[in-house]
Amino acid sequence: MHAEDVGLTTAEYDRIVKLMGREPNDVELGLFGALWSEHCSYKNSKGLLKRLPNRGPHVVQGPGANAGVVALDDQYELAFKVESHNHPSYVEPVQGAATGVGGILRDIIAMGARPMAVADMLRFGRDGHSVKLLEGVVSGVGQYGNAIGIPTVTGDVAFADGYAKNPLVNVLALGIRRREHAIGAASARPGQLLVLLGQRTGRDGIHGASLLASRDFEAGSEDLRPTVQVGDPFLGKLLMEVTLAAVHGGLLGALQDLGAAGLTSAVAELCYSSEVGAELELDRVPLREPGLSSYDIMLSETQERMLLAVEESRLSDLTQLADQHELLCSVIGRVVPGSELTIRHHAEVVAHLDAQWLVGEAPQRPVDDALWMSFGAPVQEPEVPAAAPKLSVALLLKVLGNSDVRDRKPIYRQYDSMIQTNTVRGPEGETAVLRVRGSRAGIALAVSGPARWAAVDAYAGGQGAVLAALTRLAAVGAEPLGMTDGINAGNPDKADSYGAMAALIRGIADAAEAAQVPVTGGNVSLHNETDGRAIWPTVMIGAVGRLVNPEHPLAETWTQSGQHLYLINPSPLDWGGSAAQIMQDGEPGAMLRPDLAGAVRAMTAVAHWARQDQAMALRAVAAGGLGATLVRMMASGNPAVGADIRLGETRPEEKTLRLFNESPVQWVAVVEPHHREALESHFGERGVPVLPLGTVTDEALLQIDERYRWARIDLLQAWRHPYEEEPS
Amino acid sequence: MSVRIGVVTFPGSNCDHDTLWALDELGAETAPIWYRTEDLDHWDGVVLPGGFSYGDYLRSGALAAKAPVLGALRAAVQTRSLPVLGICNGFQILTEAGLLPGALRPNRHGQFRCEWDTVRVVEQSPWFPGLTVGMRLRLPIAHAEGSYYVPSGQLGALFQSGEAWLQYVDDAGRLSPSINPNGSIANLAGVQRGSVAALMPHPERAMASYLGSDDGRRLLGAWVKGVSQEAIHAR
Repeated sequence: MHAEDVGLTTAEYDRIVKLMGREPNDVELGLFGALWSEHCSYKNSKGLLKRLPNRGPHVVQGPGANAGVVALDDQYELAFKVESHNHPSYVEPVQGAATGVGGILRDIIAMGARPMAVADMLRFGRDGHSVKLLEGVVSGVGQYGNAIGIPTVTGDVAFADGYAKNPLVNVLALGIRRREHAIGAASARPGQLLVLLGQRTGRDGIHGASLLASRDFEAGSEDLRPTVQVGDPFLGKLLMEVTLAAVHGGLLGALQDLGAAGLTSAVAELCYSSEVGAELELDRVPLREPGLSSYDIMLSETQERMLLAVEESRLSDLTQLADQHELLCSVIGRVVPGSELTIRHHAEVVAHLDAQWLVGEAPQRPVDDALWMSFGAPVQEPEVPAAAPKLSVALLLKVLGNSDVRDRKPIYRQYDSMIQTNTVRGPEGETAVLRVRGSRAGIALAVSGPARWAAVDAYAGGQGAVLAALTRLAAVGAEPLGMTDGINAGNPDKADSYGAMAALIRGIADAAEAAQVPVTGGNVSLHNETDGRAIWPTVMIGAVGRLVNPEHPLAETWTQSGQHLYLINPSPLDWGGSAAQIMQDGEPGAMLRPDLAGAVRAMTAVAHWARQDQAMALRAVAAGGLGATLVRMMASGNPAVGADIRLGETRPEEKTLRLFNESPVQWVAVVEPHHREALESHFGERGVPVLPLGTVTDEALLQIDERYRWARIDLLQAWRHPYEEEPS
Repeated sequence: MSVRIGVVTFPGSNCDHDTLWALDELGAETAPIWYRTEDLDHWDGVVLPGGFSYGDYLRSGALAAKAPVLGALRAAVQTRSLPVLGICNGFQILTEAGLLPGALRPNRHGQFRCEWDTVRVVEQSPWFPGLTVGMRLRLPIAHAEGSYYVPSGQLGALFQSGEAWLQYVDDAGRLSPSINPNGSIANLAGVQRGSVAALMPHPERAMASYLGSDDGRRLLGAWVKGVSQEAIHAR
């Protein structure tokens, strides 16, 4: 076996020989190949990710563990993270997406937390095949999440040609634990037994991490189908119940799920974070079929497995628990002092190396400071913003039907969004709101990732994604606790793709720093590139906030005629990177760089306003800009009323820019007439501009400047359009 | 005297805890019942909750219908008219076990569906005091196999015998094919036979207006009351 068979370069191989003082055997080479892969080692991104702010008063666990953890109150903690399953979902959409959900749920469980919410963030192309991929992916997300019983409470979908052969499937999961149930991979102690819980190990998914997820696609990638794993949510459910019962019963010393690179990664991570060594007996690993080699057993990505470190005295309690659920539970080794990993199979030592080498010595690309600093440099803003067409009745209908703007219901109605009975606001809203039984605090969860903003200026796009997620938290008056970032980019060996990823991360870092919200963990998926064509640098941000009184979150729309509407923090008239601009021009323009100080000021003022009694409703301006946001408000509100909007802009081109710019830090606010002064002075005192927009009327119409009128039913029909092949 | 209601947990049940919570809210004395139990003497009423028992791998409910607890359940229904309520997967299990007529087929559109629907009470039942004919309830559904079916020759008998219990209707209470969420025959959402009743919607998820509706509280509250009256009568 050669270095390239396991995805390693010659230089990396030479380094391994130097570390070991000898040539590795095939099994050892396989272990290095897996853990030094892009997918497991983050070798091209780790240095950049270290520059994201990750500390804050609520952070319990920052990056590096299976998931980040923040404190909700003095009893409960929230574990959350986003993970990608892009490459497998292209090769096999249903199973690829299903195992993506299963995988991130196990990360949350591995922190001792019970999963309570899932969010899906999907990107597809616009051709006929992409529609098939979308159907498969949505079915896969639903199959796993619905069956294991975790609600999918929010999500995000967008389309661009560049995703046709590199669709993105990023899934966020959030779980809850009591403080005293905190556990992870870092607490294994010598003498403890290593126990494998769950599914029998088979041949599925071997080389998933090193070959499928860490290389570009090219013709013939379909041959990699056997590297995709198969998910079993039924076993996943049993595994979740037994693992959490074991955590709650205090039976476990440490806990690590098996994901990419299977047993290899789980053992190495456990040893590395607990600063211990391990001895494994592969003869004791239950197999689905006889005859698996040592190499196969170590690298299999069979799903629904957990690695537990258990004191010998607790083993019988654990076995009893597993038996009750008819789940396999096998002692496969022992934790030892030091850092050596010894693997035996058929009475022979098949691998013997230092576990630290696998994780701690993995190659890392240093960050070029000059490159990093170059992204913050001001860009020359165009003096004249991109030309926009005149506003027309047809234009709004066209934007509403845009696949990035339209109603996401054909997707989310295939997901159980209400199981566990905590969902106060689900996928129909901009921000999901969950109550927590036994706590006065509730959870707000918002996701965002409009890569069209990053297409030209990745730095601006990274900032925009963070701000858009936080804008949604502010709309319900939630206090941000932390964020997770799912970064998706092209081949890092190409300067352009690497530079775009670096700029994106710098943008995230600057916006997170300005808002003082830590990034507690995330995921990077590179090599989203087919036949030399990379995707737009795409980040999916998930933001988690705490809100009081979650049973009654601030409404997202109006209720009756006479109420007044305001646009809070109106953006300059520039629609670069918006869905409407791309529709008009055929390709994305540059997004206006956000004013971070102004954004933070506005978000603080809005979150404060949202908690006041005078606030009637607030809705974040989202895809399709103010125009589409007004229609979403109409769709979810009293069907008998409409809105009469008066724009300050006089030129019809400017009206278009006002209605369809997607600048992230804007909201539509609804107030009763006698609270207009309170609103104006609240924002005035805090230096946040507001624009009066008009009033709610008792006709089911949207009317703008008396000239443009749409019946509610026509707007909803345009907006509620199924996903299908787009005419090119 | 508090009424004792058990909720069965099969491997793969995932609405068991939600249902226990809802019944606790209504003041019942509750506990989970493990699917291997063969003794149900303690219980005044039993719920088969929603979920994916045994992964729904053969056919929804088919494997759970063979579990030990179902034998005990059948005996208790026959000998002492034990009140049983099936929700979603519980409904599927009860039809598979032959304790309710008909079958639940895959949704006609072939997709899982989660949404709010309105159902109308077709028939009064002594186990649901206060749920009167024509009453409308707003409840969520979440299923892939909820298309209720009986051979067309048996549909009339189902209505005549009072076994047709709940139907999907529009906001105005009309039976309309366009609001049927799954292709169910005659828009049926729930059926009953003797002391056994079941529905596809999830009343345990509609326990408060902030969760979208409190009509589930009305339905479960009526059942708890009905079970309680039976229990007093029996003891």
